[in-house]
Amino acid sequence: MTTAAETLRVQNLVKSFGGRRVLDDISFSVRRGEILVIMGGSGCGKSTLLRHLIGVLKPDSGEIWIEGEETTRMKNDSLARVRRKFGMLFQSGGLLNSMTVGENVALPIKEHSRVDDNIASLMVKMKLELVGLTGFENLRPAEISGGMKKRVGLARAIALDPTILFSDEPTSGLDPVMTAVVDTLTLDLVHKLGMTAVVVTHDMTSAFRIASKMIMLFQGKIIAQGTPDEIRASDNPVLKQFVDGQADGPIPLRLSKGDYLKHLIG
Amino acid sequence: MNAVADYLSLVGRAIFWLAFGPFRRKPVRSAAVFTQLTLLGIRSIPMIALLSFFMGLVLAMQSAYQLSKLGANDYVAFLTTVAFFREIGPLFAAIVLASRCGSAITAELGTMKAAEEIEALEVMAIDPVRYLVSPRLLAVTLIMPSLAIIADFTGSFGGWVFGTASLGMDSTHYINLAVDSLVQKDILTGLCKAIIYAVLVSTIACYHGMAVTGGAEGVGRATTASVVSSLIAILSADVVMTAAFYVFV
Repeated sequence: MTTAAETLRVQNLVKSFGGRRVLDDISFSVRRGEILVIMGGSGCGKSTLLRHLIGVLKPDSGEIWIEGEETTRMKNDSLARVRRKFGMLFQSGGLLNSMTVGENVALPIKEHSRVDDNIASLMVKMKLELVGLTGFENLRPAEISGGMKKRVGLARAIALDPTILFSDEPTSGLDPVMTAVVDTLTLDLVHKLGMTAVVVTHDMTSAFRIASKMIMLFQGKIIAQGTPDEIRASDNPVLKQFVDGQADGPIPLRLSKGDYLKHLIG
Repeated sequence: MNAVADYLSLVGRAIFWLAFGPFRRKPVRSAAVFTQLTLLGIRSIPMIALLSFFMGLVLAMQSAYQLSKLGANDYVAFLTTVAFFREIGPLFAAIVLASRCGSAITAELGTMKAAEEIEALEVMAIDPVRYLVSPRLLAVTLIMPSLAIIADFTGSFGGWVFGTASLGMDSTHYINLAVDSLVQKDILTGLCKAIIYAVLVSTIACYHGMAVTGGAEGVGRATTASVVSSLIAILSADVVMTAAFYVFV
């Protein structure tokens, strides 16, 4: 169960792909108005964890509670009801390529609320203004850059003022100014509108700027969790190497070391 | 067996949304239906008309080859017209639809699947079956009877061209023979087949598109599989329906 203040609770989540444990006994909780940052290197399972949270993947065991409802065993209808409280920003934007930018942002508005077309287009303009893309309504996703697609994705994710915002790498591929804009926007949404945010990232500057709570995934396990200050102060060598961005340390780089020649020649 | 169950569940859900969507305040988008009607239906007309016309000419020639030996040229008009209205018109329209539109539907939905657009729809709590499959099913089913009738008439026109130009039959005489040869049952069974073909082609194409795995290569594989299984389904359904009409109607 989630307690009154808890928006999201994950309990003992386990998932294996082909005999390899990608998520190994993951448990954490997020309270209303918190920003949880999930960190970890490439392939550590953070995107898989996010896909479980949004109900696309089903775990082998474990529970996910969102606003007091257990979602891993839900049928499509109930899951759709819970998903209406979500906003999800996909890593590549997840835009529908056959529609214009404006139509993409308008999609959840038109599907889930009964508003007049004029109001919908006004809402679209407001959301695009928030992500700095005023005037781009009539372009198609193929005609804008990767960073812009991501911002359109964010505008669409927050179109219906969701209770929980999930962001997959919201700032990768953005310039420093836009990164700051997206970070400030996430903070504003959480502090002013009372949203809860779960952000997957490996951009450390951005992570420490927005996080109220952080968890670090390593080889499918949570190796550290706490406030940004606790994470900074931690002496866990894996965490230190990741946060400081050092090449040497306990995180395997999958580079062949001494037997390089042998490996090359076979 | 799993694939058949998945396919049937897809068809069931698509029909469910068409039938009950409006009552759950989630109607199938009429704008999407009209777009698909134009893309899939209207633009297939030239190809269906041309192929049926050629087929009409060929059928008339082949039957005249036999019938003229018996001095029974009049039967060319009967045979061509009845064959088109009962069988060849709907079948040709369905074959063109499967190769032209079925492949397009599979490629489009498959690309959306590969680009995670379908997953994005699901996460936005928009049922992809209602949003993508139902409009295509409805559009193809609505337009198919018209396409079959166009194929019927252009095919019969092909027979008329051969009959009047080569067999020297009088135009009015040919048309009278053709009209007299038809009974209501011929037209209705033809249209009945057309509707079943439409449901098969559109849902098989959507099923293969939604089942794509693994990028561009997967889309290519699914498109081939879609056209092949549509053609097999069309002709199997044809055998079953023709037998049923032969026995019961």
